[in-house]
Amino acid sequence: MRSRFDEQLNILNTEMIQMGAMCEEAIALATKALTTGDLSLAEKVETISEDIDQMERDIESHCMKLLLQQQPVARDLRQISAALKMITDMERIGDQSEDIAEIITYLEGKTAEETVSIRDMAAETISMVTDSVDAYVKKDIELAKTVITHDDKVDEYFDRIKSSLIKMIAENPENGEYALDLLMIAKYFERIGDHATNIAEWVIFSVTGEHKNS
Amino acid sequence: MTSKIFRSIFATSIVVLMATLVIITSFLYDYFTDIQINQIKDELSIASVGTEQSGEEYLENLKSDNFRLTWVASDGTVLFDSQADKTAMDNHLDREEITEAFETGKGSSSRHSATLTEKTLYEAVLLSDGTVLRISVNRASGFVLLLGMMTPVIIVVIIAVIISAVLAHKMSKRIIEPLNKLDLDDPIENDAYEEIAPLLSRIHRQNMKIERKAAELNRRKDEFDLITKNMREGLVLLDKNRNILTINSAAMTIFGTDEKCTGNEFLTINRRHDITSAIEKALTSGHAEIRTKLGIREYQFDISRIETDGETVGAVVLAFDITEQADAERLRREFTANVSHELKTPLQTITGSAELIENGLVKQEDMSRFVGHIREEATRLVTLVDDIIRLSQLDEQNELQKENISLYDIANEACGVLRDSADKKDITLSVSGDSGNVCGVKQLLFEVIYNLCDNSIKYTPDGGKVEINVSETEKEVTLTVSDNGIGIATEHHARIFERFYRVDKSHSKKSGGTGLGLSIVKHAVQYHGGKIALQSEIGNGTIVTVVIPKI
Repeated sequence: MRSRFDEQLNILNTEMIQMGAMCEEAIALATKALTTGDLSLAEKVETISEDIDQMERDIESHCMKLLLQQQPVARDLRQISAALKMITDMERIGDQSEDIAEIITYLEGKTAEETVSIRDMAAETISMVTDSVDAYVKKDIELAKTVITHDDKVDEYFDRIKSSLIKMIAENPENGEYALDLLMIAKYFERIGDHATNIAEWVIFSVTGEHKNS
Repeated sequence: MTSKIFRSIFATSIVVLMATLVIITSFLYDYFTDIQINQIKDELSIASVGTEQSGEEYLENLKSDNFRLTWVASDGTVLFDSQADKTAMDNHLDREEITEAFETGKGSSSRHSATLTEKTLYEAVLLSDGTVLRISVNRASGFVLLLGMMTPVIIVVIIAVIISAVLAHKMSKRIIEPLNKLDLDDPIENDAYEEIAPLLSRIHRQNMKIERKAAELNRRKDEFDLITKNMREGLVLLDKNRNILTINSAAMTIFGTDEKCTGNEFLTINRRHDITSAIEKALTSGHAEIRTKLGIREYQFDISRIETDGETVGAVVLAFDITEQADAERLRREFTANVSHELKTPLQTITGSAELIENGLVKQEDMSRFVGHIREEATRLVTLVDDIIRLSQLDEQNELQKENISLYDIANEACGVLRDSADKKDITLSVSGDSGNVCGVKQLLFEVIYNLCDNSIKYTPDGGKVEINVSETEKEVTLTVSDNGIGIATEHHARIFERFYRVDKSHSKKSGGTGLGLSIVKHAVQYHGGKIALQSEIGNGTIVTVVIPKI
């Protein structure tokens, strides 16, 4: 009985890693599309985002089944409930990558090369997502804590980009729409950073049983 | 084990007990039957004497509940019966014992009653007057007897069962105890009863066999570990569920993990989509190959399925570091592209000018300017081809004539050549330091200093200064060329020694040069077994340090 349960937990773990990897890919592709202006990459992000949605439903039903059939306690219960919370955040990351990709199609081939900060911000968020998934894989609390501190950096980037875009609009009012699109992209990256932070917090919860907000 | 032994002992004793009971009962039954028959025989002989003397009267007196007397005439009619009405009785001539008595003088038989619950014993004797006197007695059959004895038998059986259960339990415990206490690591040394001695020696032999096998396995594992550990290529063995069976140290470095990952899924050490999908592909179609970057290094992954008897048992992932190879490939590609570009630009100017002259579109007074263009570009081409030839010579590593020379002297010589261009930009050019004697190729070392100074002059604004310093230790000579020019940004440091690499991407003719100067410097320094270092920041000038060993 127990060994079957362990096996199911292992499968859940694998699925979570796969979903995390898909999120990483989605955001990496969106960023690449942003810097190269390659619209085919943006389309790919859409398909990955759909896969992520499907994965969320699969993992959710898997978790429910485990909860109902095995009635787990303590650590196992924490792992499953944390997984349930994390997939929501991962799904949001996928959606927001898709949103970024969608905005890129409106940019009409303009790339974000002029705003170097957005690229840096994207790199920072990607590493946050990667680290949060890594923290889950390795059950590494320290890594999860670094992810949480990195969120401030992303917020800082957002403020900086915002003021530079304001300056851009003031100098070239005809570039207003482009600037606003870039602002939206930056906002989405900022949100992705928040979701990565959430994932990291749930990783800490699943290992220690303590959640920051409780 | 205990319960099995207990059960068999118990069952044996129960069976023995039951068998004994049955055998004894049947013996006793037969014995009592014999006694009874003897009794009625005695009775009959007394009765027959009485009947012969006083006839029916005697028989009437003899009536008893214990037995039944029947007197039968020679024609079979019943003359008297002690328990029934003689008139109602059939002719008895066909009865077995009576027929026998008529024939032999004595007869006996026994018959079961219709219900089988009773058995009747008959004895008959022929009297002197030709009649037959029969005595019979009823007795319960063996079955009824047994039924009657049930209660005591059951009590006896219950007691016996309890006793045998207790004894069987104790016995099985006594058999088992030494077995459980056996020291299986050293079976021969055990002090147990001799019945299990063959078992012990077998265990001993088995132990030896296992030990040998284990040693053999360990040896093979050590061999395998040693081989994989010293492999430069990363090796990961996966089972069919993608769990890591073995990972060598090179692979651990590549994937940034440690031994603890063994047994986990491959996903836990790397979840890159291209790699995992390549593994999937290998597991389904047999083989997969991808090139990808992990961090700053580039790897080629060869993944093959492992099969036994047509069944997939896992996959082996081999990772090769192809960073250098990929870099070399990129360099070669860039070199070809650059060479063509650099060769084409002057040729285009030459053909363009020549065409204009050919078609008479150039006025006589402009002619010398156009011809001058053609000559200039042709000279550029010649310099470029010269540089390429020199570089390829260096690539070939031909053995060149080495001599003892002073770097200080060469530096002075180079400065002499460059003095004019330095003066044009009002740049101070100075040489200082030791004489710096090394054994080297004069032409190449001249090239090194010339190119470094030339670059410094080119990229230093008017009124700047370029200093050459030669210092000497016992083992090596250090040459530094420093300027206070525009400097080089850090991101270009690694690449400026590549062929045709330019910080200024526009390949502007403004500064002139072929883009091969620093490449020649690098090769020339390498030819002498030296090292070259760059220290520069935007706006803060550049210091190039060349260290050349004396031997």
